[in-house]
Amino acid sequence: MYEKFVNSLLLLSILWPLTLVVMLTVKKIRPVVLSLAAWAALPALFAALFVSPNILYWDFPWLLLGAKLGLDTTGVLFLLGSALLWSVAGIYTKAYFSEKEKQLSFYTFFLFAMAGNFGLIISQDIFSFYLFFTLMSFASYGLVVFNKDKEAFQAGLVYIILVVIGEVMLFVAFLLLAQTSDTTSFEAVRTGYIDNPNKNLIIFLLFTAFGIKAGILPLHVWLPLAHPAAPTPASAVLSGTMINAGLLGWLRFLPLGDIISVNWATGIILLGLLAQFYGVIIGLTQRNPKTLLAYSSISQMGIMTMLIGFGFYLPEHWDTILAGITFFALHHGLNKGALFLGVGMLGSTNKLQRNTIWLGLFIPALALAALPYSSGMTAKYLVKSYTAYFITPWSSILSILLFIGTVNTALLMIRLLYLVRPASAPFGVSAGFSLLWPWILLLASIISLPFSLESSLEVMQQLNALPYLYPLFLSILISLFIVKTKKFQNLQPVPAGDIVLYYKKALLLFVKIGKKLNAVLLYYKYFTSAIYKLTNIFWYNILLLLK
Amino acid sequence: MSISTYIPLLVILSSFLPALIIFRLSEKQHFLRTLLNLSGICITLLLVIWMFIGVYYSQNYEIRFVLIQNLDISLRAGPFALFFTGLSSVLWFITTVYAIGYLEGSAHSSRFFGFFNLCITATIGIALSGNLITFLLFYEILTLSAYPLIIHRGTEESRLAGSIYLLYTLVGGTLLLLGTVWLYTLTGTLEFTPKGFVHTILQEHSSALVIIFILLIAGFGVKAALFPLHGWLPKAMIAPAPVSALLHAVAVVKAGAFGIVRVVYEVYGLETAAFLGLTTPLAVLASITIIYGSLRALFQDNLKRRLAFSTISQVSYIILGIAIVGPVATTGGIIHLVHQGVMKITLFFGAGNFAETLGVHHVSQMNGIAKRMPWTMVSFTIGALGMIGIPPIAGFITKWYLGLGALESGQEWVVLVLAGSSLLNAGYFLPILYRAWFLAPPESWPEEHSFSKGETKSSLLWPPLITAFFALSFGLFAASPWSPLAWAHLITQQEFF
Repeated sequence: MYEKFVNSLLLLSILWPLTLVVMLTVKKIRPVVLSLAAWAALPALFAALFVSPNILYWDFPWLLLGAKLGLDTTGVLFLLGSALLWSVAGIYTKAYFSEKEKQLSFYTFFLFAMAGNFGLIISQDIFSFYLFFTLMSFASYGLVVFNKDKEAFQAGLVYIILVVIGEVMLFVAFLLLAQTSDTTSFEAVRTGYIDNPNKNLIIFLLFTAFGIKAGILPLHVWLPLAHPAAPTPASAVLSGTMINAGLLGWLRFLPLGDIISVNWATGIILLGLLAQFYGVIIGLTQRNPKTLLAYSSISQMGIMTMLIGFGFYLPEHWDTILAGITFFALHHGLNKGALFLGVGMLGSTNKLQRNTIWLGLFIPALALAALPYSSGMTAKYLVKSYTAYFITPWSSILSILLFIGTVNTALLMIRLLYLVRPASAPFGVSAGFSLLWPWILLLASIISLPFSLESSLEVMQQLNALPYLYPLFLSILISLFIVKTKKFQNLQPVPAGDIVLYYKKALLLFVKIGKKLNAVLLYYKYFTSAIYKLTNIFWYNILLLLK
Repeated sequence: MSISTYIPLLVILSSFLPALIIFRLSEKQHFLRTLLNLSGICITLLLVIWMFIGVYYSQNYEIRFVLIQNLDISLRAGPFALFFTGLSSVLWFITTVYAIGYLEGSAHSSRFFGFFNLCITATIGIALSGNLITFLLFYEILTLSAYPLIIHRGTEESRLAGSIYLLYTLVGGTLLLLGTVWLYTLTGTLEFTPKGFVHTILQEHSSALVIIFILLIAGFGVKAALFPLHGWLPKAMIAPAPVSALLHAVAVVKAGAFGIVRVVYEVYGLETAAFLGLTTPLAVLASITIIYGSLRALFQDNLKRRLAFSTISQVSYIILGIAIVGPVATTGGIIHLVHQGVMKITLFFGAGNFAETLGVHHVSQMNGIAKRMPWTMVSFTIGALGMIGIPPIAGFITKWYLGLGALESGQEWVVLVLAGSSLLNAGYFLPILYRAWFLAPPESWPEEHSFSKGETKSSLLWPPLITAFFALSFGLFAASPWSPLAWAHLITQQEFF
């Protein structure tokens, strides 16, 4: 009985938010449903905590073209992180918007995106994954443009163009995958890779399409545009869970652990490292804390991209690496979410309140900077341990680069804390108790995270924590140096979305060529329409004659 | 002779007789007219359901009358015939309800509903035709009975659109007749047979068969709006919304596509057509139409015109599906008869609601329209997303089958066409959704009618909601044994392969 109840929670985690959306359309019960909507992620949270993974799988042969749902070990951690963040963001939302109208329209998109997010985590086959991934992507458009100003619509445009391109690429990739496998469940699909003639094309399509969500270079442009434009609870879930959805897509569909490919490995590792540094460098120049956080996400996702590259090089160690990626994703998602929620409520001028929130922000910021005994330390340790699998020069080069990366991240966090220091201009909404308590809950779970997971607890016990202080010290020294140097103080921020400018230029050029072509077509059209009219008159006369 | 022999005839009479009576009614007899309309449909639906069950248990329904020696009028209900009959009769039911809400009370109602019923008689006749000559007969009846519907408004513009329509379709009909007669002189039979009947004369008359094929495809291609023959369709959108819905989703365009399927599978046979080298050019032509229609749709501001170009593009999916050659792609093509039907009819109902309730005819006037008419817009959104091919809506299933079928038969380029078409569909549908859902509504609508309850008349609101529900559930439950997809599998197994 207990088993059944617990397992049904898994289905409920998708169905409950969707039911709430339907219920929101009924005017009479709307106030009640709005209060319920704040708690919509609870079934998913309970499912993540109580459902034991790898036991139960549901087959729905009648759904779409056959669907399969279930929870595996990778899924559990993704579900836990997502559910925690969606729960907190859901409660936060209720207090963030005071008007019922805004709550209604925000929750509509929010709940759809939430159902999509949970759904794609517990999907075990192509069709259900594609369905929920699409649901999340399209519903999130409503979150991105929610403020309905020029900035939001521009961000939304970039976002939706990338989403549509990604959707089409996924469609083609899935077709190619389905062609060589009997069924569309994940295991069948991945065994189908071995003798697929289009292997590299599929990997390219999947890597790029999911990379759009995960914010790989050069497709990261939507992140720094969308996150500042969206309302705070939306940016928290966008940054904390949506980019993880891209990562999960890679984990589910790429033939990691099955094939070895030095080319893909080198390319992806380089891309990841590049993103890690690029994100920090551009991020450091930002003055809007949300934009800075978006660039920090790009940088952090760079590390996870790099780990995917490791998987292509070290298929025999894939299971170990997978555990690290999953932990990293959980760690980054929660911390990034907490940072977004925190900087979104600096609207008050009350000194005490500002100081408290500022101090609270130290927790996730320092965790990202890999402070000893934070989740960041475990994550960094795991990543670093994988570099040992490489041959000699590379393993030390990689670990040096990772060290520099950690210093960079710490610098970025110091910059963030400086930007939102209590004396800075108010940003976002004013924090009330109803905004604060879910946030504090999230902070508490962040602190307890490294001690509550078995794998991380082991690491904690055997690790010498002192070396993890070095990058932090170093970055503090560097920032002191920067503060003293006059040159850096007048540094202008790189416009959010950096290279999106070039995309725009390319598009304009395209339109220009199109216009020229159109001129040619107009001549042609003029010519043909003359012929067309003549023949028309001819036939019309014949018709008249027949009358 | 049992009663089951007469059922195909009864189905046709159940819409034909009401049509004749409605013509004799005076304008004022609303009630009687509506009663006749609805009772005709209900009888048809019951008979169609009966036949569905019968055919599922391998019952045969066939009736013949001798026309001249060796040439019969034959009505036969196989799985494929019933598929189209079912689609037409269900959508006809919904469209009639919609048309009653849309037009009842305006002038010339008897004329309108008379021809409306006649149109459906012809469409069901086409669906149930057992041979090419019967097909042709009903096909011409359809051509002529749709004409009064297109020019129903009686304006200068609609009359022009009507004559262009007649011009195209009559020329098409002539080509068709030419091809049919030629084929008859060569083979001596016109009966639709699984895997075709022309292979007996393949050796001696192969070049004649190629020309006949081109004649037949050109003839049907006019109605199916294949690329160079599509010109009438965007013009015909001047007709009232229920007529457009009927033209695009149920009767005219579909009859053309249905005809092409019949020619390829049951006149020529897929193997013969492929042997003669006819399927690849057909697939290329369909692909060109798909891309061309979408490209033109991008630049239309008039909503119904945009939808018309979208139809040109989408109907060619059906033709593409059968021209790819292979059971999976064929299933994809056939299923799109239904999928395109429910999605496009939803879109036209939506367009009609915007025009009738708010006087909105152009995409540029649709800012914030979802605030005023949320439910119409919800159904419109489902239709539009389905057209792009977004899961779980029906269009996705079509695209999946077409793509998989193309890969199976080694024609990878088709996947590029599908991907390009998806992008273009997104390009002309998403801006509409963006305007409607996210921009601020204007202070006043061009021509607003208020209704005490709800956003518009309930007879206008329910039809798009129901068809949108179909579009959603046909995709979401595609693999269930009661979905159109399951029936399409039955067709491909029993009749085509």
